[in-house]
Amino acid sequence: METTGKLVDRPRQYHNVDGVGELGIGVMCLGYALLGWMQVHSPEHSAWNGMITFFVFIGVLSAVIHYGSRAIKLRITFPRTGFVEYRKRDKVWIPMIAGTCVSGMLAAAAAVGMRAHWNLTSAASLTGVFLAGCYAWGIARSVPWKWTVVVLLATTSLVVGLLPMSVLDALIGDSWVSRRHHLLSQPFAALWLCMTTYGVLTLISGGISFWLYLRRTQPQP
Amino acid sequence: MNDQIQAIGELDRVIHEPGRLMIVALLSSVEKADFLFLQNQTAMNKGTLSSHLSRLEEAGYVEIVKTYRGKVPQTLLSLTATGRQAFDNYRKKMKQLI
Repeated sequence: METTGKLVDRPRQYHNVDGVGELGIGVMCLGYALLGWMQVHSPEHSAWNGMITFFVFIGVLSAVIHYGSRAIKLRITFPRTGFVEYRKRDKVWIPMIAGTCVSGMLAAAAAVGMRAHWNLTSAASLTGVFLAGCYAWGIARSVPWKWTVVVLLATTSLVVGLLPMSVLDALIGDSWVSRRHHLLSQPFAALWLCMTTYGVLTLISGGISFWLYLRRTQPQP
Repeated sequence: MNDQIQAIGELDRVIHEPGRLMIVALLSSVEKADFLFLQNQTAMNKGTLSSHLSRLEEAGYVEIVKTYRGKVPQTLLSLTATGRQAFDNYRKKMKQLI
């Protein structure tokens, strides 16, 4: 028989039973990658580099993910395998505190690294490995085939760290970032590559889960 | 009789039954869930699940609310504060015993 601890954990895993959690992560990563690309490849003082555009973009992206996930849950998941409302503590506070701590640590590490002239490309690559770890803990431990995705995520992140600098320079090209903040352009390119691969892989994995879910379940009368 | 054996006798019998333990454990980590979710997760049939839920409701551990989702009837279930406390105590006692 399953242990009580595993049973307690099951509703949390249920959130991604239809792959919607991963689809959300995929859209978010690709959204951030698109925003980063537009910011780097448009002129320094264009609208893409303004704070208003940044907040509007993030707002629209969050709304698409939130309402999109909710629509899928309401119309597809709940009629098939049941409704769950999560506790506010798990839904809001814990992710918010964890997110703030991780962002703070990453920002501090980046600031220290820039001062010490470290190679931040490896840091960007390690961020990808860290995200792969989070994915493994949050999603893959309940679905065995998702470990393939974890391996792909970790491998891609490590490969990005090993890419020749010329490739990363080519990604940024002759933009205002490479001219004004040369130290940051290569780590940015590495992070952009990690985000894009992460987005594409989670989107594919989420899509497969969604397809499998639709095949295995039927709406209940 | 030593303390450990005495503690086994003091276990909450309402929660100790495997079917009800599954229900309480599943409800402990959510605000609320519906009947269909519990049925899917526990793989119990409607009758068995209903009887376990009635027993838990009698003990004051579970709150049952009948409502509608659009035009479809929906039974929402949540653990009461007493139920949450009872489950925490049960887990603590089991950890001490095993």
